[in-house]
Amino acid sequence: MGRLKRGHLIEAAIFVGIVAIFYAYSFEFNQTIEIYIFGATAWPRVVLLLLLLAALGNLYHQYRHGSESQGGILGAAAQQDGESLMADKTALLRMVFVLLTPFVFAFLLRPVGIYFSAPFFIALVMIMFGERRWKAILIMTAIIYVTFIGLFLVVLNAPLPQGNISPFYDFSAWMLKMNTQLRGLW
Amino acid sequence: MLENFLAGTYALFGDPVTIGIFLFGVIGGMLFGAIPGVSMLTLAAILLPFTAGLEPAQGVMLFAVLYCTGTYGGAITAILFNIPGSPENAPTAFDGYPMTQNGQAGKAVGAAVLCSAIGGVASALVMMAATEPLANWAIRNIGPPEIFALVFFGLAVASSVGARTIWKGWMSVLIGLLIATIGQDPVGGINRYNFGLIDLAAGIAFVPAILGFFAVSEIFVQAEKKATGKYNAPAVSMSFPSALELWMHKVAVLRSILVGFFCGILPGIGATLAAFMGYGEAVRWSKNKEEFGKGKLEGVISSETANNAATGAAMIPLLALGLPGGALTAMMVAVFQMHDLQPGPLVFMLSPDLIWIVFAAMFYANLSILIIGVIETKTILNLLKIPFQFLAPLILMLATVGAYSGRGLVLDVMVMFIAGIIGYVLRRSGFSIPGIVLGLILGKIGEQNFAQGMQMVHYDLWTYFSRPICTLLIVAGFLTLGASVYRAFAPAKPSV
Repeated sequence: MGRLKRGHLIEAAIFVGIVAIFYAYSFEFNQTIEIYIFGATAWPRVVLLLLLLAALGNLYHQYRHGSESQGGILGAAAQQDGESLMADKTALLRMVFVLLTPFVFAFLLRPVGIYFSAPFFIALVMIMFGERRWKAILIMTAIIYVTFIGLFLVVLNAPLPQGNISPFYDFSAWMLKMNTQLRGLW
Repeated sequence: MLENFLAGTYALFGDPVTIGIFLFGVIGGMLFGAIPGVSMLTLAAILLPFTAGLEPAQGVMLFAVLYCTGTYGGAITAILFNIPGSPENAPTAFDGYPMTQNGQAGKAVGAAVLCSAIGGVASALVMMAATEPLANWAIRNIGPPEIFALVFFGLAVASSVGARTIWKGWMSVLIGLLIATIGQDPVGGINRYNFGLIDLAAGIAFVPAILGFFAVSEIFVQAEKKATGKYNAPAVSMSFPSALELWMHKVAVLRSILVGFFCGILPGIGATLAAFMGYGEAVRWSKNKEEFGKGKLEGVISSETANNAATGAAMIPLLALGLPGGALTAMMVAVFQMHDLQPGPLVFMLSPDLIWIVFAAMFYANLSILIIGVIETKTILNLLKIPFQFLAPLILMLATVGAYSGRGLVLDVMVMFIAGIIGYVLRRSGFSIPGIVLGLILGKIGEQNFAQGMQMVHYDLWTYFSRPICTLLIVAGFLTLGASVYRAFAPAKPSV
């Protein structure tokens, strides 16, 4: 096994899997283009081949040297070490929530809309970043929400997701109506 | 040149809206560059969709100003927190952070202010003189084969930046190239990898991907530091270096200007390579090499002069050839495209006013680093007292609107958060985010020009390589790859 760890094998398996899936899917668009003999598949398949070679080379490097950095790499000092996160189960669980919350927020944008979901999302992010003072959470949520609405709805009049389920859609409609009335005052 | 520069200056300062945008860029770039956890790229990515509502010259100028001031701003986080605002600020942290730990933060920041301004102004002057002749030359000598060769060379060099190993550097670039194949192919318009989703037929939009890989993944990185208790706000002091101290490093400044400018011209990683080369040369020529990395002022001076000297140089491949030199200049390509413009030699003929507003703005932005930088740095030090838990939701909300507003698709918000998660995981595993983004941006350009080039030479590789510039760049690219292959099989040792 050399200096290989389970994480290295998982990493290699993921990349080989990606290459396999993308290669298999490339047959879906394997059509000839009259003006270009290489067609639509040549470029992605060359990229996939190179990615496979690089992934195998990476595995070989990890077999020989583990996770050590190489000399001559510019900017690698900015990379961080993630070992401590895996050791701390509470921190790991918290990070899973941190990673999932924005995704759930994005998923809810279509049915719920941004006007209703934003304050909850803002407060939740603060809590996930370790803020526990309820007064601070409420005040900062209000400030960020008002700033956000003021900038994007009132000033820029940017089209934002409104939701498509009642009562969330009704709330968005009410916000937009208020904005129209506010603009009518100017 | 002087006449054009004055015309650009008049256009810049003759309109209150343009002045406002210029000042916003100066202050915003420095501010976002200097707030830990975000960078000029975060602000640029957030602003990108909104530039559609600006005049083309205002949009491009805003990004050029952000590039200059943000490169300087990133030095502040590198010095104070050991968090380089962008890869080009990484070597600044080598000596800047030890200086902070030694209670000399003010001296390091002061040197960064002055040297960023000197490097940037010198670079802007050379850029003004060199870009237009190069663009005129490019019209006659640069075709699709040369542009493909440049992209190849740029990506070959980019693979050795920011990743933990050469292998991961290559994989990062290839991941970006693979993402770029999603959507219609650039020759026949055939849908590729849309996995049945109609919205993916147009491909992965740059803005959500860039927002995800940079802004959102950075939030996740900071969240991890909070979760593991590694997030520290440092004690800050302000005492700028004396004029004598700076004068003593005049040779280092001059050397870094030269190094920075020549590295900056390379498409792909100009400013990052410049900063490391500037730092490396300072170490190489120093009689006290062992003092570097322990808080030596010359380390900060060399790195910051070189990376700002590269900002003007990076505009040359962008404006003269249409090739971005880094993540921010890649976003500038998107600004051009939003206004139905294509950066490259033709811009000089079709929109000379735009070019000279950008040149003038970059010159004055670098000058303003000196003036506003000193004042704003003190303000930033106070802003740094705002806890990150209050900045994070604001940044995420801005990013959400930025991703959505481009095409009005919730899918783009999802793409952004998925890119954020992927970016975070890949960063933890030692992959290079700038490499992925450059692969993503240069992928389509590379494929399109390769196809056009092959059609031009009727698929005859001999004709392809009989073009001297093309051959030179391809050979240089292969030499770069050869050198990295050699390093890839060399014994592992601590990175630079």
